Amino acid sequence: MTGLQEVSHRRDAELKTAVPKGEPILDLLGLQKNYGAVQALKPASITFLSGEIHAIVGENGAGKSTLIKLLTGVIPRTAGEVRWCGEPVQLASPNEAIARGINAVHQEVVLCPHLSVAANMFLGDEMDRNGLMRKRAMTAAAQGVLDDLGFNLPADATLGILTIGQQQLVATARAAMRGTRFLIFDEPTAYLTRQESAQLFRLIRRLQNEGVTIVYISHRLEEVFELADRVSVLRDGTHVGTRRIGETNEAELIALMINRTIEQIYHKEHFPLGETIVETRGLTGPGFSDVSLSVRSGEIVGLYGLIGAGRSEFALGLYGRHPIGAGEVYWQGRKVEIDNERKAMELGIALAPESRRDQGLCLNLPIGLNVNLPVFRRLTRGLTINRAEEAANADRQIRDLQIKTPSRRVLASAMSGGNQQKIVIGKWLSHGAKLFIFDEPTVGVDVGTKAEIYRLFARLLEQGAGIILISSYLPEVYELADRLHVFRQGRIVASHDYRAASHEEVLAQAINA
Amino acid sequence: MSVETVEGSAAPTPKRGVSILFGLTLLGLLLALWLALGLATNAFWTPNNISNLLRQGAMTAILAVGQTFVIITAGIDLSVGAVVGFTSVIVAWLLAAGVPLWLAVIATLLIGVLIGVFHAFGIVRMGLPPFIITLATLTSLRGIGLLITNGSTISITNEAFTNFSRADFLGVPSLFWMVIVVAIPAYVFLHLSRFGRYLFAVGSNREAARLSGVNVDRTIYLAYVLSSTCAAFVGLLLASRIGIGNATQAEGWELQAIASSVIGGTSLFGAVGSVHGPLLGAFILATINNGANLLNVNSFWQRIITGLLIIVIVYFDQLRRRGSR
Repeated sequence: MTGLQEVSHRRDAELKTAVPKGEPILDLLGLQKNYGAVQALKPASITFLSGEIHAIVGENGAGKSTLIKLLTGVIPRTAGEVRWCGEPVQLASPNEAIARGINAVHQEVVLCPHLSVAANMFLGDEMDRNGLMRKRAMTAAAQGVLDDLGFNLPADATLGILTIGQQQLVATARAAMRGTRFLIFDEPTAYLTRQESAQLFRLIRRLQNEGVTIVYISHRLEEVFELADRVSVLRDGTHVGTRRIGETNEAELIALMINRTIEQIYHKEHFPLGETIVETRGLTGPGFSDVSLSVRSGEIVGLYGLIGAGRSEFALGLYGRHPIGAGEVYWQGRKVEIDNERKAMELGIALAPESRRDQGLCLNLPIGLNVNLPVFRRLTRGLTINRAEEAANADRQIRDLQIKTPSRRVLASAMSGGNQQKIVIGKWLSHGAKLFIFDEPTVGVDVGTKAEIYRLFARLLEQGAGIILISSYLPEVYELADRLHVFRQGRIVASHDYRAASHEEVLAQAINA
Repeated sequence: MSVETVEGSAAPTPKRGVSILFGLTLLGLLLALWLALGLATNAFWTPNNISNLLRQGAMTAILAVGQTFVIITAGIDLSVGAVVGFTSVIVAWLLAAGVPLWLAVIATLLIGVLIGVFHAFGIVRMGLPPFIITLATLTSLRGIGLLITNGSTISITNEAFTNFSRADFLGVPSLFWMVIVVAIPAYVFLHLSRFGRYLFAVGSNREAARLSGVNVDRTIYLAYVLSSTCAAFVGLLLASRIGIGNATQAEGWELQAIASSVIGGTSLFGAVGSVHGPLLGAFILATINNGANLLNVNSFWQRIITGLLIIVIVYFDQLRRRGSR
């Protein structure tokens, strides 16, 4: 017996007999969810077959989150029926879902960072003897599971010191050993490096071989084609179709999702390049060294690399958030020292940071306050803020960027990922800048909003701005950047002109293959 | 994505409307208390008692406003009670040493500013949690005050100073006027100026505020200086009221101030709060104490009732917030 089977065996007795592979395991019949007058999920009938990998795609707001919450018992349904192994079930609470073997791995890890990896894996299901925890046995068992899955992670390490990607793997291992029969992944690769994604995919296939049914939610269609057996598409709360993966293609899925073709997504316009806005020479700081690059007016400079390659650190260094160790920055030909964020803003640098949640937004404050945060100085007349201008400025950004909200007073936390990203961008549009740094602007953003963001880039370039675009998603920087710098371990290891190198070449440079 | 709550649906009620509604609920509660006490006892609606009530509530109200600034930044100031006692000693000491009244008042307020600067220094530069640094000054300031007075009290003989707290202006106790003197600039600061917005932003997400060009350190200095200065101001009022400087006075007032602030809708997690909320909270607490005295309720019961009230009000506030999601 492998380590995983040994541990998960403890739960098997509680679960009913298996459904044969290929037979329906979970049947949704007209499942529906309303919030007041709003239909978050219109009556949907989807059948999940035992042992399949079933991808669900759709834009933000299409109803994917609602569907997951219904299936994991987090929210009650408004109408419809759910059949689990042929029997109607309530799924009234998360405990009921877990007891039946339905689990979810969320995009943002919801574990305890101060406990060890093993303690997290056994959380709520600890091994004990006479009420005392068998810590050593749990650590050994957890290590067995991790080794068995091929994750190179120590079970006794504190979870918090691991990268987000590694934590995600721990969360997956945790779900895998709980006798799970139906496992939902909600955009699991959003924060993973390529190697980590590969490990995760191996784990998913392995779980499938052991008879687990997988639901895989992702914005990345190529992952869907790599993994899934079938794919269901949601649009505006409606289930618009389910396809066998061999009988569809990327273009059809995108058409189903948004009624828009793929060429329209990577919207790229070329503008004549103007004067150099910023130039760094041998810039060195925490997490990056010897970075020399320049950005000209009308140019998108792409920084590609794995997470942790030093791209975000470089951006923060240039923005004055972290101290610069060595090297020089020239702003429109003049040597400058940028030692704090306000200095950067005053020169004309704007930064839309990597993490909306941790760096970009004040989530429990209104949208209006978030949008206006960089410009309150400008909105101040004498001692007080001009309330009319404050409101007008916020409303203008909400309208221009089509942020979907009934009012500027709604809290930023109530917005979807795409709309949150628009708030971050709106903040800097209202401030205005000569150089815009966008760090992973489309993570967790749906295809439609992506296209809007790319069109916005073109608008900024047209007005004479320059853009630094940081992305771990190669097609994005590849299709958009006029000049592409590849980062590895804090340094630029290669630079290419627009579409001058192949995907494979760039990727190999980033991972040093 | 866990951030992605039900998009576009169940839009939370606009924030400002809710905060006004909550303010009105508190005001309603306060008026209901007054009405009920007026019916229950003849002694309540007497000019003497109302003056007394306004004086009692005034000092907590001023402390609570200062405290609220700090709590909005997701901090806490446990030292305010000790600062009140300490500054009452300082002003009594200065007056006893023959320092002119105006100078003694200004010097005492400056001491308040310095204490706030010290708190912020500990938080910003030394990286201490607000709870720890203010807990440390709480005990130290009481100690310093006791050293200065050698464990006893300093009497204040300056009549102009002691008469102030007994005086009325337009029929309203001067102490209550002091609440207005503090509350109006506090309202302008918190709700109408950009610094108020910065307090909320820092309390909500420090890093996001910093990357948006907000001077986070300065904002934290501002919050703690304002809180300590309000406390020093209350120290002056207390010294005037009781005519002595005594380092052990105002024991537990920090908890009264925090309770008033929380009853007034301030969130201890930061980024939620107002100026009118803590004011109402302070007078609700003062009314309960006053009413309990009039009704001859055992003072031990007053404490229990206050505790229960905090639980009930904050619970309803939580329900309301959840409901508005």
